[in-house]
Amino acid sequence: MTLLYDRVLQGLAACAAVLLGASALAITLDVVGRNVGLGTVPWILEVSEYVLPLATFLVAPWLLRRNEHVRLDVLLRAWPWLNHVTNVIGLAVCAVLVLYGVRTILNSAQQGAMVFKSVVFPEWWLYAPVPLCFGLLAVEFARRLMGAPAQLEGR
Amino acid sequence: MSWWVAACLLFGSLTLLFALALPAAFAFLGINIVGAWVWLGKDAGLIQLVRNGVTSISSFSLTPIPFFILMGEVLFHTGVAMKAIDAIDRLIWRVPGRLSVVAVVAGTIFSAISGSTIATTALLGSLLLPQMLARGYHPNMAMGPIMAIGGVDMLIPPSALTVLLGSLAGISISQLLIAGIVPGFLLSCLFVGWIVLRATLDPRLAPAFERESLTLWQRVRPLLLYVAPLVMIFVIVVAAMVAGWATPTEAAAIGAVATVLVAWIYRALTWSNLMQALMGTAGISGIILFIIIGATTFAQILTFSGATHGLVEAIKAAELAPWLVLATMLAILIVLGCFVDQVSMMLISLPFFMPLVAAYGFDVVWFGVLFLMCMQLGLLTPPFGMLLFTMKSVAPKEIAMSQVWRAATPYVVMGILALAAVIAFPPLATWLPKALFK
Repeated sequence: MTLLYDRVLQGLAACAAVLLGASALAITLDVVGRNVGLGTVPWILEVSEYVLPLATFLVAPWLLRRNEHVRLDVLLRAWPWLNHVTNVIGLAVCAVLVLYGVRTILNSAQQGAMVFKSVVFPEWWLYAPVPLCFGLLAVEFARRLMGAPAQLEGR
Repeated sequence: MSWWVAACLLFGSLTLLFALALPAAFAFLGINIVGAWVWLGKDAGLIQLVRNGVTSISSFSLTPIPFFILMGEVLFHTGVAMKAIDAIDRLIWRVPGRLSVVAVVAGTIFSAISGSTIATTALLGSLLLPQMLARGYHPNMAMGPIMAIGGVDMLIPPSALTVLLGSLAGISISQLLIAGIVPGFLLSCLFVGWIVLRATLDPRLAPAFERESLTLWQRVRPLLLYVAPLVMIFVIVVAAMVAGWATPTEAAAIGAVATVLVAWIYRALTWSNLMQALMGTAGISGIILFIIIGATTFAQILTFSGATHGLVEAIKAAELAPWLVLATMLAILIVLGCFVDQVSMMLISLPFFMPLVAAYGFDVVWFGVLFLMCMQLGLLTPPFGMLLFTMKSVAPKEIAMSQVWRAATPYVVMGILALAAVIAFPPLATWLPKALFK
């Protein structure tokens, strides 16, 4: 079960990695194309802007699993029981954001809001990764509360 | 609620959550959830919080960040960085404190190609530190330069944190990137001077040893082979921005792709190490950007609660001398840097600092460079400077944290001197961007 869970988190992080690499390549090809007179693809830069939040949401649960999010752990070393307090707060924060992530999506979909730039799509697509990301983060905080050890193989 | 009660509540609870070891992004999110409920209109405020989080990082000005980080990660994981350091190692000889000087020179060149401060320190630390200690270098002589040069990485472009500062503070990113070059090199020169001075006065600190004798060609060839192409990438990235051929995002993307190509030409690239570099990139950019998602609404809440306006007006009303306001802002940054990470530092301080910078008419590029220099100092200042921990984690077990602190101290002093120099003589920061972007 844990293995599957880790695979899922790693898989999402790998998607983020590939997305970032692909946008570097696409932007470079676009610049080269523009300068040799092949013209430009207007949506490439725009899509690369949307890659940034998407990649961040995809990689965040993997980072939490590996304890790589920046934190100040001086007090924690002195009083390890603080960890429970931290995990409860983390879980609460994530739960609220899952709820409001879903509400933002519904809200935007009901209004029929669209993004009108070079690419036209329903605005709620932008918010779709939010509940997924915070749902997985909530799972990690809950696992820690139930005593699952944090994976300590950070870089 | 008066503005100062709001300010105390917001900063007090943020400090508490940081102290509880909640990751910075979640600490900001926790405060924002409560703050959005209270000041941004309950339900609507929380929906706004989610919207802000997503839109804050779907921004063209932030896209260079992962690409700059990718450049450094590719050099690491393909081993091209090691070859470059070895090439510099061959080139520098008969200098007192040779390996420490190699660390500074390699670090300076490497920072011209890597967007990540911690990566530079970790690389040089794991590569050069064991060698120096084995050669009988004093730990201070061995660790100090490596940590110090890691901080310089932030000033010399490409730098992910500079991009972030420019984006958050509304300073021209291209100009800010260029403005860091002179202060960055100034610091490197100061460091080399200090090492040579120390090693000359007390040769026991860095015992001299003779490398196998090499012909001039044997010394220069690796430099042309492994360092020159990297310098070329740096020149292309900077030139593309300055000449207006490419935006910072495009220049960064080209730099990243060029780095991958160079690694491929050296036959150092494999699918596996490319994927490692990409995962590393996603990780480091994810850490930075996730804090921004968490913190973006914080500035808005500060504004709506009246805290920003109240504090800024109170300072203006006090009619303090401009230098005093500047000195206080920089001192706050240095103190903040001892406790919180760079991204949080910017997000906490910029909502207050930028209105003051505008009110007092400070040059924004100059202020941006001072801001970066203070963050660089923050990385090295005990007790919690991030590079001190990075060094501790790559150093041999028997080296105590206190020893790491001592090693960093002279470089913190030099950093303060350089900061004072840029304050007293602003053209150090502003001349180059002004000359290039006429």
